[in-house]
Amino acid sequence: MMIADNMTQPFQWSYNENDQEFALRGSLRPQRPEELNTCIAALEQAVARVNGRFYVNVRRLVRMNNVAFHTVACKILDLVRGRNDLRVHVTTSSVVGWATRKFAVLETMSDKITVSEYDSEFYPGQSFLEEGGFIPILRTQTKLTWHHERTMLAKHGLQPDMQVADICCGIGDFAVLLQKEYRPARLVALDHSRSSLDYARKVAADFGVRGIDYVFGDASDMLLESDQFDFVTCRHSLQVFDRPELILKELLRICKPGGRVYITNEKNSHCLGEPRADSIQKTYTEVARLWAHFNMDIELGPKSRRYLMDAGFEDIRMESFMVTNLDGNPQDFADIIQSWEDVYAGKMAVERGDSAEEIREFRKGFQDHIFAALHPKGYAGWPIWVASGRKPA
Amino acid sequence: MQAPSGGLSSISDLPQMIHLDLDIKDFCSDWSHCDLMSGYLARMVSHNRLDSLLFANLYSSALNELLEAVYRTHGTSGKLECAVRRRGNLDRIELSFPADDETFGTYEAAIAKVNGDDAEKVYLEALFADREPDASLGLLELGVDYDAKLAIERLDDGRMCLIAELALEDGE
Repeated sequence: MMIADNMTQPFQWSYNENDQEFALRGSLRPQRPEELNTCIAALEQAVARVNGRFYVNVRRLVRMNNVAFHTVACKILDLVRGRNDLRVHVTTSSVVGWATRKFAVLETMSDKITVSEYDSEFYPGQSFLEEGGFIPILRTQTKLTWHHERTMLAKHGLQPDMQVADICCGIGDFAVLLQKEYRPARLVALDHSRSSLDYARKVAADFGVRGIDYVFGDASDMLLESDQFDFVTCRHSLQVFDRPELILKELLRICKPGGRVYITNEKNSHCLGEPRADSIQKTYTEVARLWAHFNMDIELGPKSRRYLMDAGFEDIRMESFMVTNLDGNPQDFADIIQSWEDVYAGKMAVERGDSAEEIREFRKGFQDHIFAALHPKGYAGWPIWVASGRKPA
Repeated sequence: MQAPSGGLSSISDLPQMIHLDLDIKDFCSDWSHCDLMSGYLARMVSHNRLDSLLFANLYSSALNELLEAVYRTHGTSGKLECAVRRRGNLDRIELSFPADDETFGTYEAAIAKVNGDDAEKVYLEALFADREPDASLGLLELGVDYDAKLAIERLDDGRMCLIAELALEDGE
């Protein structure tokens, strides 16, 4: 049969004794139950050494036929029935459409088995950034950054008719702009937020933009096949993830050999403005500390080169640009800063446990930044670092 | 072909997207053909769905169970044809393959289980039965978990057609 041979991910299992977790991954469609004998034996051995709760992780089990399910499920059931002390928890993923409802039947067979869907822990900052009201600001941010990136993308290797992926696409507006400007042959836009994707699809439909494939997924562990994109973008996202190297590994994987991965990130402590520079600088230095408290690195921008090199990229290109109040309507810039204040001072600092006085002080720098942006002789800036690297051929 | 049964749409309502045919012996020469064919077809028909990755994953799972059923239970010689059709959110898979009376009877019994009032109970029993699952388990799963409509038809040339209609993006 003339069918691509890279479509089926090999089946693998592993056991992490420290977490008492047995993980199955890849594609599991055996003809006969005996084909799983070594896996089942490993599962039995693992359970024999376990006290209390045993975890079965099927988050990355992409395909599973009924022969496999019957074999694995019956074994799990046997194990809990044979040991009074044993509890089993199965973790599925909503990214793999069939998994949760299929494994959920295990709960009906024994009250010692629980099943839950892993979904909400992709990014530590997710809840702060996705709450209502933030979408208009995200659109404004993209409008202002696109002003710079529009031509910059070509310098980093993007050309028409390429296979392109925009990973962590958020509300999808960058993908729409990219689609219009660069006319890719294929554009896949992936995000972990269903509400953002719903919004993205609605906007694309409203604007008559066709051909963007918006898909749900975890950027650090994607279902997208390997080696298929000429150009992969991932903007403002490594900085909101506690382990950016995991995303970079995936970006490298889905990129074709010779293709390029393009990332943008910030260094918020370098936000600046005149007048009132000192107050502004003080607040943004605090922003960096605040994000670090939530395991995010808003200072990642200048570290992009190192991250790309460590991930195995070559021919690294890197530059920075400054979004300023002079890029367009200064009020747009001011609106962005106000939204930052609302989220950083109004939510994150509160959750960190800052005192009212600290929050008042923290807010002042944002207001001074806005003052600088709207001042007739003022200047306000938000620096962003762009970096790209080539996947070795 | 006889008129469709089992509450399925009429064929003319569902335009054909892809049609594959191969000798049943070639298909059954390697178990991995079920996985490869379902993965390949799923990818081909998923590009314009709401979420192509999610859709392809579900479509591949459903089609694979149908192909595995045919792999295990079919007549001796003839063509396997796989036609996939779609209108809107409704996808239809038609597998035509050689079937003697015994083969047809096996599918008849399986479809009766799927269409029975206690299909969910029968499915759970089959899923956790001590014996190895038979061809009906995959069909039961499609009926119960995927809410698929299943039907079979006798063809004039000694073959039969196994039909599944699914709406995989409903309820998203």
